[in-house]
Amino acid sequence: MPKHIVLDTDPGIDDSLAILLALASPEIVLDGISAIHGNASTAQVTTNALSILELANAGHVPVYKGCELPLVQPALVSPETHGNTGLGYAKLSAPLNQARAQHGSDYLIEQIMSHPKEITLVAIGPLTNVAMAIRKEPRIVENVKEVFIMGGAIRHQGNTTPLAEYNTYVDPHAAHMVFHSGMPMTLTPLDVTYQCIFTTDDLNRLLKIDSPITKFIADSTRFYMEFHDEYQKIDGCVINDPMTLALTFMPEICDYESLYMDVDISSGVGLGNTFADFYNYDKKAPNMKVALGVRPRMFMELFLERMEKLAKSMS
Amino acid sequence: MNPKRIIIDTDPGVDDALTFLLALASPEIQLEALTTVCGNIGIDKTTRNALSVLELAHASHIPVARGCAHPMLHTLSNSGDAVHGTSGIGKSILPEPKSQPVEQHAIDYLIERILAEPQQISLFTIGPMTNLALAIRKEPRIVPALKELVIMGGSLRAGGNITPQAEFNIHADPHAAHIVFHSGIPITLIPLDATYKCLLTSADIERLNKIKSPIARFVGEATAVYMDFYKKYEGFDGCVLHDPLTLAVIIAPELFTFEDHHVDVDISGGVSMGNTFADFMKVTKKPVNMRVALDVRGRDFIELFLERMETLSRFISD
Repeated sequence: MPKHIVLDTDPGIDDSLAILLALASPEIVLDGISAIHGNASTAQVTTNALSILELANAGHVPVYKGCELPLVQPALVSPETHGNTGLGYAKLSAPLNQARAQHGSDYLIEQIMSHPKEITLVAIGPLTNVAMAIRKEPRIVENVKEVFIMGGAIRHQGNTTPLAEYNTYVDPHAAHMVFHSGMPMTLTPLDVTYQCIFTTDDLNRLLKIDSPITKFIADSTRFYMEFHDEYQKIDGCVINDPMTLALTFMPEICDYESLYMDVDISSGVGLGNTFADFYNYDKKAPNMKVALGVRPRMFMELFLERMEKLAKSMS
Repeated sequence: MNPKRIIIDTDPGVDDALTFLLALASPEIQLEALTTVCGNIGIDKTTRNALSVLELAHASHIPVARGCAHPMLHTLSNSGDAVHGTSGIGKSILPEPKSQPVEQHAIDYLIERILAEPQQISLFTIGPMTNLALAIRKEPRIVPALKELVIMGGSLRAGGNITPQAEFNIHADPHAAHIVFHSGIPITLIPLDATYKCLLTSADIERLNKIKSPIARFVGEATAVYMDFYKKYEGFDGCVLHDPLTLAVIIAPELFTFEDHHVDVDISGGVSMGNTFADFMKVTKKPVNMRVALDVRGRDFIELFLERMETLSRFISD
């Protein structure tokens, strides 16, 4: 039985690749997408989600527009990382479909509550929608099957401030609510995603197939690669989000530790810093599994094979 | 003049319950609905109490929408028990309500009512502002559609009543208060600076109980624990009518001394968590975001409250 996935996402270059990986993976069914501000505005990422689904002939997957602002912090988007539209140099057609009327947070509630213990939530943007849903309907905590989160940086440095990763920095209060919710969570922090570099060689391998999918991957990631090269001296780009999605059906990509994780919301220089209580000073029970070790090529081969298959089916 | 149409977002709570009674007893006000939130006590009890008090006052036609069971980030403390009694309304034992809350969540109920009639509804929040803050983030268009917001909360010069610096409603969900304060909604704040001028005394309760009525009896029984608390912890005879005072913004605005200020709330997590502070000296040059009641003719308000309770008690007598 394939796993039923709901994706909360802010596409976003690597978010788009996560959507494509979900569509290309027979182990899972993408039930729906709730869009959230982050890499670009909520309106923009909602349009992007619809366009990417249509690009991959998956216009039947419903998209729901979520919150437009972080809970407490001012709005923050990242055109320098993802481009003005959120998709780098890729130019996708305007979508034919529209977002559904229901709010993204209500979609999460309804989907989880109507399928108890069956829905795997994959949250790869700021956690505003998920936090809103938990406070509005606390029973989703017991009824969600499991939750995979891309976010945080534990021993690794931040990519937004010296201490904070982007998703947790954009809405640290939402991350705090989710971390302490009691949901069964697996966290994919920068500690593992920064081991997985999508290189020009990888891209050239995909480009042997002439397809709108490979063209999209090339146009979007070229911008991302320029960013990673200019700011972080990395040849290639880091694709955080598809790796988080891959863990839902191929957990052996990573090694995990069960840890008590917290987020700094005290408004100082550490705002959004995610930290683990490795020595159990606080004597608190672990609240999530954290991916701290990774087999980078295992993930990258999976990603490339799936993208090749998807591209061939649409060449 | 048409009565003002209001929704009260509330965590009843002794003085919350007295606020509903005052609203129902006031021809200047049309109470449209109650939305409940956790605060003085948990959400099951606040929702039950809201329904029960409405039934006591023959007003069960007024809808009640159940709201959030937890503050956004803080953990709910049960300190309310000592102040409001374990039931939330003192020694009063009201029968289980026959009516039910509406199916809709308070967040969605607020959004729907406010958007359905732009600039018609005044909202009064007399508990932690979790419901309103999440409603603003879920549907930002309620901000321009809301006519006005009156908040019982905060303390500017008066000190706190839950920490040395923080007032209870704000401290219970400071992040929600932060969202609301900076939302752009036209706000009137009724802080402890004004509410502590409004003391209901045991002599007042005796006066009210000359009328044999379930209303008068309820006011006496509900305030008994509340009065014990103030005597034990704060050393005075009587109890403070924080929440009912908000309604004086409609009924008797002339009692207040208002000033316009930029008011913020500390959410930085230190000893000042939940402290509300006004930029009295304009050092930040930030624009005014609310009107603040810094003083009130307290005894005049108590007289008004007692007269209205007497009228309601005569109307619903034994």
